[in-house]
Amino acid sequence: MSKQATDLETPVPQQTVVPAFDPTILPDMLPVYYRRLFPHLPFYRWLSYGLSEDGVFCNREISFTLHDDIYIRYLCFETQAELEKEICSRNPYKIDIGPVMHTRPTNFRIVPGGLTPVQRELVFDIDMTDYDEVRTCCSGAEVCLKCWKFMVLAARVLDLALREDFGFEHILWVFSGRRGIHCWVCDHQARHLDGRGRYAVAEYFNIVSYVNFMGSNSPRCQLGDRSHHSFKRALKIIEPLFEEIIIEDQNLFGTPKGVNKLLHMIHDDGARTEFEGYLQKSHEDGAHSRLIWESFIKYSNSMRTSTANVWSRKLKNIVQEVQLCLLYPRLDINVTRGFNHLLKSPFCIHPATGKVCVPFSVNAVAKFDPTTVPTITQLLHEINAYDDKTKSYMEAPEDKSRIKDHKKTSMFKGVVVFEEFLRKLERSNKERTNVLQF
Amino acid sequence: MEFHLKKRARNDVKVEVVSLESKYPHNVMMYYYPPTDDIHIEEFEELALERLRLLRVLDRAGTKGLRLLSEDWKEYVSSELTREGLRSYLRLCSPGGGSAQGSKHESEIQTRRRDYLSHFILRLAYCRSEDLSRWFVAREMELFRYKFAALSSAEVKQFLEANDFSFQPLTESEKDEVKDGLYESTAGQSVSKIELLDFYKVPFTQVLDLVRGRRCYLKDGFAYVNTHDLVSVVGTKQQDIMELGLLASKGLIEEVEGDERISRMLKALHNSYTGKDYTVCRDAAVAIESLNQLSKTSMPLCMRMCHEHIRAQHHVKHGGRMQYGLFLKGIGVTLEDSIRFWREEFTKKMDADKFTRSYEYNIHHNYGKKGSMVNYSPYSCAKIIKEMAAPGDCHGCPYKSEDQASLKTKLASYGLSTSHIEEVMFFVSRGHYQIACGKYFMLTHNSNVEPTINHPNTYFEESQILMGNRQKRTTGAMPQKAKLRPDIKGHADRSMLNGDDDDELWKIAETQERAYQSQKDISEAFNDDLDLTEITY
Repeated sequence: MSKQATDLETPVPQQTVVPAFDPTILPDMLPVYYRRLFPHLPFYRWLSYGLSEDGVFCNREISFTLHDDIYIRYLCFETQAELEKEICSRNPYKIDIGPVMHTRPTNFRIVPGGLTPVQRELVFDIDMTDYDEVRTCCSGAEVCLKCWKFMVLAARVLDLALREDFGFEHILWVFSGRRGIHCWVCDHQARHLDGRGRYAVAEYFNIVSYVNFMGSNSPRCQLGDRSHHSFKRALKIIEPLFEEIIIEDQNLFGTPKGVNKLLHMIHDDGARTEFEGYLQKSHEDGAHSRLIWESFIKYSNSMRTSTANVWSRKLKNIVQEVQLCLLYPRLDINVTRGFNHLLKSPFCIHPATGKVCVPFSVNAVAKFDPTTVPTITQLLHEINAYDDKTKSYMEAPEDKSRIKDHKKTSMFKGVVVFEEFLRKLERSNKERTNVLQF
Repeated sequence: MEFHLKKRARNDVKVEVVSLESKYPHNVMMYYYPPTDDIHIEEFEELALERLRLLRVLDRAGTKGLRLLSEDWKEYVSSELTREGLRSYLRLCSPGGGSAQGSKHESEIQTRRRDYLSHFILRLAYCRSEDLSRWFVAREMELFRYKFAALSSAEVKQFLEANDFSFQPLTESEKDEVKDGLYESTAGQSVSKIELLDFYKVPFTQVLDLVRGRRCYLKDGFAYVNTHDLVSVVGTKQQDIMELGLLASKGLIEEVEGDERISRMLKALHNSYTGKDYTVCRDAAVAIESLNQLSKTSMPLCMRMCHEHIRAQHHVKHGGRMQYGLFLKGIGVTLEDSIRFWREEFTKKMDADKFTRSYEYNIHHNYGKKGSMVNYSPYSCAKIIKEMAAPGDCHGCPYKSEDQASLKTKLASYGLSTSHIEEVMFFVSRGHYQIACGKYFMLTHNSNVEPTINHPNTYFEESQILMGNRQKRTTGAMPQKAKLRPDIKGHADRSMLNGDDDDELWKIAETQERAYQSQKDISEAFNDDLDLTEITY
């Protein structure tokens, strides 16, 4: 985190100057990317799940987005070779992964009663735009290291809850190419959750509701008398970073508008007016968030101990509630709920930024820097540079060097994370089938 | 599933009580096996209507915003059931019902039989579409919980044994290991109670409702639930049985409807619930130029706010586009006009090309002209109230999602006086959003009759009728529905079951449903996916 300031002002110089990504030449770059860099084999190893279940690979719906937003759905492939061949010949701008259907998805027009999804990873989509009202550094499609911290917390909270509460182990985190993150839970039980199960899990994480207040939606969440263990755990993760993110980085309450945001999170009209009066007396407009926040804590503490007051009953957890409201993962709940939802595949190239959708390790999420994720331009540059340098030494046969191509580039780390995830997945898959055989 | 229906007349309907008691040993039954009794067509119809009335009482209690099984809820339901002449069902749902003796006992067993049979009859009527099934399962589950809550702990035990639920409580040492989690996360029980209660460890998938509401301790994929929460496990099971049963019924429906008497009744039953279908508007086209005016006079708050949001921001998120776009379709805005409306607004902020690429498809799709070709229905109040608005959204039911203070300001800006605002807010603060909406309608239309608002398009239509812009249709679903109400109370009069004048509507609904069935999954996927075009990377 500490190097962020320097990163922002002067991008780390590459060995050679890499041209910026140019969307207009993307179609010329994609064939090279898919032929030389896309990790076809690991990708297949993932989606085939060791072929432990019937149709798990060949009934999977894959969809391609080609140039000019031509969108082809219901594709499916019998073998790894066929998938690789199709990807390399069509060079899709985007690959989406859907559910495993009960039959080949290509038959969608002739299957009576339509396609029925039978399994699908439990997926989560967290998008930066949902944080727009709590970030002041950027907005819309932009993302910087300051706002990435929202993602850091979201990923940590969600990952831990999925592991500890639901007992899931095989969780793949992927940078979505611009400003968000995707989470794929690939455990057997997660893949086989039905619609109601997905809905329940999604709602489990949906603790913040939005109340329209004077024209803007304001988050509210209530902890109640005793807080659920998942809230407590989330707070343990969120609390230490709350001041750094909300107070220092974002200075969220540093404007009258920002102070209003804080006020609107107080879910009692009387108490809100009371606190508003107190703030007006003690601070001028535009006082730094730190002062506002300190007053807020002080005031709510003093009110909490006084007797027979809404502050002591309804608002006794208000400080924690505000922290959760602002920093608890904001999920696109429909993505998680839908059995049928298509989600962009890892290792796609984001067509607007040119960045690779690389998997990342949740333990190292704080070190992940979305601004320096390699673009396709950079990757091709690196691979060429490497080839130039080693040409004289290595006249190895094509197929051998092909496997290693991604290792020559900064995509290497993403592939390693992916392979580590696969290794664990395959191991537990093997254990599963062994158990079943006995 | 076997479904034998008596087509020959038979006078003897007297059933042997002895066999019945073993057949229906309990007030609460798992609806495992379809009944194989022979019954008269008259009784078949009677049972169907009875069940429907029962479920509708529960439905009304829900739309009134009463919390399931709360005291208010129970009071309302029991008075309504009495009013509807369904006291016998009420007894099934009351404590101590099972232990009665003698003649009372016999009548109760008869009720159990009616309960069991009528459930399976309605399955046939409600298996036709996703929406109907969902409504049916939700109401049935409320009934189930109501009945289950009335059981004494001895009866619960008996029930669990009879239905092969085997639960082993945690041992003291096992409980000790997780006790911190139990204290923190077990909802509705005090710490001292938790110490005494038995806890059970079950896979979280068996208690999804507790998971959803974060009402139990979860660890490594297992939920720790106490004796009182076992109803969730049983309920989840019951719901699975019902959902599978509805799917199975769907496969049988053709065979059952071979008998015209039955098919007519089942279809009429269905219509009597759904009310009007707004998918295809059969009124004159509404010009988009009049929308500004109409939004002030005839649109409910939820739609007026969408409209104003679009005019002010020139953009609206997916949820708002769906809610408002389908509403416009329902009031009679043509596809061409609709595209024109959205384009004019959106292109104030983006270039025409992007609009064509990202949004036009969506509009065609809603009108059933692209993709899955399903003509989507405008959202009902129930759906809109359920929608969760996220930051930057404008859809949802404003009575629910708006903060009360800003709702007041909004109403004042729409010209309501302070006392009128208080009238509306009275219902809002009690969670009766639809009644609040009806109140708003009365106040803004100077009308003495308070309409029942279940659908924004009803609101619009009622408003237009009151203002003399539209004729109340003499044929069609609305009057039909109004006529239905009295009928359905007395089962002697079955004129509602001959829904001839409703054929046209039925045909539309039927073709649409068929398309819906076959394309359901595809369309769902499509629907979900629509926004992918709008950069959600």
